[in-house]
Amino acid sequence: MERRSFLKGFGAAAACAVALPTIASAAEEKKSAGPNEMNFETAVAAITGGKALMPSAKVKIKAPEIAENGAVVPVKVTVESPMTSKDYVKAIHLLASKNGNVRCANIYLTPANGEAFFGTRIKLGGTQDVVAIAEMSDGTFLSAKQNVKVTIGGCG
Amino acid sequence: MKTLIKIKPKTYTAGEIVKVDFMAMHPMETGMRKNKDTGALIPAEYIDEVKFMFNDQLITKMVIWESLSVNPLMSISFKVPGAGTLKVIAKDNKGQSVETTKAITPKG
Repeated sequence: MERRSFLKGFGAAAACAVALPTIASAAEEKKSAGPNEMNFETAVAAITGGKALMPSAKVKIKAPEIAENGAVVPVKVTVESPMTSKDYVKAIHLLASKNGNVRCANIYLTPANGEAFFGTRIKLGGTQDVVAIAEMSDGTFLSAKQNVKVTIGGCG
Repeated sequence: MKTLIKIKPKTYTAGEIVKVDFMAMHPMETGMRKNKDTGALIPAEYIDEVKFMFNDQLITKMVIWESLSVNPLMSISFKVPGAGTLKVIAKDNKGQSVETTKAITPKG
């Protein structure tokens, strides 16, 4: 009985010794800032220049509610607009609210597109909101968001 | 950098809105990942600018960040004005640049 408990204790201690360095390196990894690190508020302010974001049903995001693999998450953004030279979508900004660098893509459109659409595949570090901001030709900013649950993160 | 342009659907008429898919073979390194053997950070390498041109007129300009997946796909809509050449210029943060062209040939 004694031998058994000793072995159990020894096994647990060994497991701790192995686990500790990995925890330490994980914490270190979080600290290291990427070259383009930017948080959500700063990124939104940089896009809108301080103007208010209006949540709108005109902006539609198509993304999975649960993404098993965070490394490849398909996202499609459509903005309702006639896309004429007077009234069109100037830009679609795609953001992932909790990635190290929240910016994914800034798409500058012209009326020649015929339709305000952007589709891509993005990496998500964890469960978070995918946010699309549409910059309209009249200077307003419409937005929409969708929460994506990520089972396995896609950053590293 | 290998690239590919796909027009969907394959046959279209002038005035129709089609989808243009642009795919590039690119590692899209974030600069935050570590080499598992040495522990050194893998330097960032990602496509940062993509321009879609039709007959040398800019249709769409994209500023891309490292959050796009490996071998990224970028898809836009395009209203076909008539026959011409679609050109996509992709540039990465290391200065590597590639031009891809696709003939636009509307039927009917």
